[in-house]
Amino acid sequence: MIQMHDISKRFADYEAIKAVDIEVNGGEIYGIIGASGAGKSTLLRLMNLLEVPDCGEVVVDGKNLMTMKPKQLREARKSMGMIFQHFNLVANLTIYDNVEVCLQLANYPKHQRRERVMECLRFVGLAHLEKQYPQSLSGGQKQRVAIARALANEPKVLLCDEPTSSLDPHTTAEILAVLEEINRTLGVTIVIVSHEMEVIQSICHRVSVMADGSVYKTIELEPKGIPDVDHTPEYFIEKLTGEVSGDA
Amino acid sequence: MPEVLQRYEAEIWQAIGETFAMVGMSILAAVIVGLPVGTLLFLCRKENLLESRAVFSILNLLVNTIRSFPFLLLVVFLIPFTRFIIGTAIGTAAATVPLSIIAIAHYSRLVEQSLLDVPRGVIEAAKAMGASVVEVVFKFLFVEARSGLVLGLTTSIISFISYSTIMGVVGGGGIGDFAIRYGYQQFMTDLMIYMIIIMVILVQCIQFIGTTVARVIDKR
Repeated sequence: MIQMHDISKRFADYEAIKAVDIEVNGGEIYGIIGASGAGKSTLLRLMNLLEVPDCGEVVVDGKNLMTMKPKQLREARKSMGMIFQHFNLVANLTIYDNVEVCLQLANYPKHQRRERVMECLRFVGLAHLEKQYPQSLSGGQKQRVAIARALANEPKVLLCDEPTSSLDPHTTAEILAVLEEINRTLGVTIVIVSHEMEVIQSICHRVSVMADGSVYKTIELEPKGIPDVDHTPEYFIEKLTGEVSGDA
Repeated sequence: MPEVLQRYEAEIWQAIGETFAMVGMSILAAVIVGLPVGTLLFLCRKENLLESRAVFSILNLLVNTIRSFPFLLLVVFLIPFTRFIIGTAIGTAAATVPLSIIAIAHYSRLVEQSLLDVPRGVIEAAKAMGASVVEVVFKFLFVEARSGLVLGLTTSIISFISYSTIMGVVGGGGIGDFAIRYGYQQFMTDLMIYMIIIMVILVQCIQFIGTTVARVIDKR
């Protein structure tokens, strides 16, 4: 689905990505992990040309993005959803409008927009919040809205830039469950950048380990499933003291 | 009503009308030209959607130059230009020319600053969704910056009122001119104070409206 060949990217005098080759297969969940500054996010942003590589080829769904005219590139981006660590919702738009904007940009038929927006909001379990503004939502809910927005135009690919890095473990598990469901039921190819081991282990089919702007190794994984995080008082006490607390 | 106000009622109403005409034209110029210029200033900045050192530098220099003129000098300096546009350099209509030019420079700078407050991530998300530059501006930037744009316009309008008081030098009239000619030059201090009170009330109202609108449309 996504082929990157001999991609390099330099910022001023710093080489962020060094001659990377990567291939993401259709229908898989592909992880990219590595330390801060390894180039994970930059590599992801090169996949929809938010960053333009200095050389190399980016082919998505059989089409070379590098040779496209600006208008063609915008069309190609409409079939690639993207979500971010800080959600990047429009704070002055309601939840409904945030999702609808994606359909407006894609020239989705007007009379079908409402149905599609609500379908996406139901998918992430937030249809009841359609009239709220992002400010009144929790982090996990904001990320769900961002997912609904990314999904609205039925993309083939979903790019996730540290999607759970500003969320607590419980909310992280919820978001991972949504992503896993999107992949399983809608067949969307997902690329996840994360520095969190659990995120990669729980849902990824393959992972590239990055270091210093290069792919160090790509590994096949058996997804472990999403951990059951239950934040009862007992859980915290056990974690903190190592003791299983009974009825103290 | 005080006797002096009654005596000059017709003149006062005319002066108020002139002030409204001059400030109104300034607002129009600010919105129709200043808003696009400010947006272009923002878009042409480094690492922005239309990054262009040349366009940014030219606009930036132009805006700075206009704003660095003492306003009275700008009015005098523009007299030939005003005569060219309006046909005369004297009167309320002529006064709107220098006022519009300072209005454009003033508001465009405030527009640029409001847009700089929009989180970069929102623009990133818009680009990732395949938005064109025009779509980014209208569907994301202006939506996210709207209360800043309103507050900026409010600040600008109050400055325009202040600028308009000088327009007596080219026969532009207005409340400020009336206060100086009748109140100051004809020693009717009470009349001058009444004019100042009218100006204070006007500014208070505009600030109140601006602040309220900005608050209501701000959902951040």
